[in-house]
Amino acid sequence: MSLADGPSFSKRVRRVRSRLFEYASVALAFQALLVYLFLYVPIVVVIALSFNDSRHAVVWQGFTTEWYEALLAGETVARINPDAAFQSLLYSLEIAVVTVLVSAVFGTMLAFALDRYDFPGKGLFIGLVYMPIIIPSIVMGISLLLFFNIVGMSLGIQTAMIAHIAFGISFVAVVVAARLQSFDRTLEEAAMDLGANELETFRYVTFPVIKPGVVAGSLLAFAMSFDDFVVTFFVIGRENTLPIFFFSMVRQGISPGVNVIASLILIATLLLVGLAQWIEGPVW
Amino acid sequence: MNVTPSLFWLTVFFLIPLGVMFYYSFGERGAFGEVLLGAEHLGLQQYRLFVVPSDASVLQAIWWTIAWIVDGLVPIELGLAAGEPTPYVQLTIKSIAYGLLSTAVSLAIGYPTAYYIGHVAPSRYQSVLLVLVILPFWASYLVRVYAIQILLARNSILTNALGILPFYETGQSLMNTQFAVIVGLTYIWIPFMILPVYASIEQIDFTLQEAAMDLGADRFEAFRRVIFPLSMPGVIAGSILVFIPTTGAYVIPELLGGTRSQMIGNFIANQFGSAGNWPLGAAASFVLMGVMLAAIGIYQRYGDGDLA
Repeated sequence: MSLADGPSFSKRVRRVRSRLFEYASVALAFQALLVYLFLYVPIVVVIALSFNDSRHAVVWQGFTTEWYEALLAGETVARINPDAAFQSLLYSLEIAVVTVLVSAVFGTMLAFALDRYDFPGKGLFIGLVYMPIIIPSIVMGISLLLFFNIVGMSLGIQTAMIAHIAFGISFVAVVVAARLQSFDRTLEEAAMDLGANELETFRYVTFPVIKPGVVAGSLLAFAMSFDDFVVTFFVIGRENTLPIFFFSMVRQGISPGVNVIASLILIATLLLVGLAQWIEGPVW
Repeated sequence: MNVTPSLFWLTVFFLIPLGVMFYYSFGERGAFGEVLLGAEHLGLQQYRLFVVPSDASVLQAIWWTIAWIVDGLVPIELGLAAGEPTPYVQLTIKSIAYGLLSTAVSLAIGYPTAYYIGHVAPSRYQSVLLVLVILPFWASYLVRVYAIQILLARNSILTNALGILPFYETGQSLMNTQFAVIVGLTYIWIPFMILPVYASIEQIDFTLQEAAMDLGADRFEAFRRVIFPLSMPGVIAGSILVFIPTTGAYVIPELLGGTRSQMIGNFIANQFGSAGNWPLGAAASFVLMGVMLAAIGIYQRYGDGDLA
C-alpha cells in the first residue's frame, strides 16, 4: 500500500467498518448471551455438582441425592457437620434480625435528618454516612477488632451485631434518603392543616410513602449482614456465622458436603429475594 | 427527627475505631509482637518502612517506584533505576493493577451488554434482562467465589473444555493464579459496571446518532464521537464502583489466589494475624484508604460527583 492510496484506503476501511456494524446488533446479542452464561454457569455447576455421585472429583459421575439425604438426616458428610452448620445458620439469622431492627429505625431517622435539615458541616456528615459502605471491609473489621480489644469487650455475636449495625445504618439511610428526595412535602403540610399532629402525620402520611424505601433498605441491610464475611470474621471471636463456617469448609477443599451447603445457601437467598420482590415489587 | 442514636453509633463504632487504627499506625512493634505507643515510639517509621527502602532516600524511593512501574509496563528490560521499591509498595501497586485490570475487563465485557440491554434489546425484555444481571448480586458472595473455584479446579468442565486449545494441557488447574483472581473479581463485581452504564445509555437520545450519521459519520464514528461520550457518566460511575472493592479485596485472593497472588488486603490481615506487626498493618490500611480516597477524588473531579 503506497502513500498515494491513502484516501481511498481509509474510504475502504470506512466501508468495511460500516458493513460490519450492520451486524452489530447480532454480535451484541451474542456477547450479552456470553455474559449471562458467565454469570450463571458457575452457579448452575455448583448446584449440579451437589447431586454428583462422586466423593471427591469435580467431574460428573451420575445423579444422586445421597448427600442431601445424609446432611438433612444429620449425618456428617465429608467433614461437614450438620449441627455446626445449623448452629452457624442460627447465629447468622440472629445477628441479621437484630441488625435490621436497629438499623432500620436509626437509618430512617438519619435519612430524615439528611433530607430535612441544613447544618454546618453537613457535607462531612454525609461523607461519614457513606464511609462504612465505601471503605474496604477489611479495614472496618480490623479497626473494630482493635477497638473492642482496647475497651475490653469480649468478642462474640454481640460484637458482630454492633459492627453490622454500623454498616446497616448506612445502607438504610442511603436508600431511604433516595426515596425521600422524591417525597412531596406539601402532603405533610396538608395533613397538619387538617389537624393531624406530628405523630399522626408521620403515621398516616409520611411513613406509607417512604415504606418501600424502608423495606428496601432493611432488605439490603439484612442481605449485607447475613452475607458478610470479612467484618464478622475479625470481630466474632470463636463463634461461627454461616459465611464463616462455609469459608472454613471451602479452605479444606471441594467436597460433596460443601456443594450441598453452597446449593442450599444459594437457593435460600434467591428464594428470599424472590419473596421480597413478590411482596414489595422490585427493591433494588 | 433525632440523629443522635445514628451519630452516636457511627462515631463510637466506626469513626473512633478508625481513629484508634490511625493512632496505631504511628506506633512501633515491640520485641515480642506487642505494640509500643509511648511518646518516644510514636512517629512515621511504619510509613517510612512501607515506602522507602532501607538504603535509599525519599527521592530515590520515588524514582525507583516510578522506574519499577515503567519497567513493568514496557516489554523490554530498561534497567532505569539502581534499586527497587519496597516489597510493600510493590504489593500496593500490584493490588491497584489487579483493581484496574478487573475494572477494564468488566468495562470491556460489561459495556456491550449494557448497550444491548439499554438500546438493542426489545424494550419489553429490558427489565427481565436487568433483573438477571442483578440476581447473582443477591446470591451469597462466598458461594459465588466457591463456584468460580469449582470451575477453575483441575478436571472441571471448564478446564477440560479448554483442552481443545492447542497451548493448553487438558484438565490442568487454573486455580491459584493471577488469572483466577482477575476472573473472580470480575465475576463478582461486573453487575456494578453493567447497571450504571445501562442507566446512562438508557437515557441517551438516539436521534443524536441519526443526526451524526446524516451529517456524514459512519456508525463507528457516530458511536465513538456521540454515543460513547454521552455514556461517560455511567462508565465513570461503574469504574469507581468496581475499582474500589476489587483493590481492597480480601476473600477472593485468599480463596483463588494462592500465595503469589495475594493483595494488600491479605497483607493487612496477615500483619494482624500470623505476622503480628499491628502498627505496620495499620499503616498499610491507611495506605489502602489513601488509594480509595484518591480514586474517589478523581471520580468527583471528572464524574458526576455523587456516589449513589
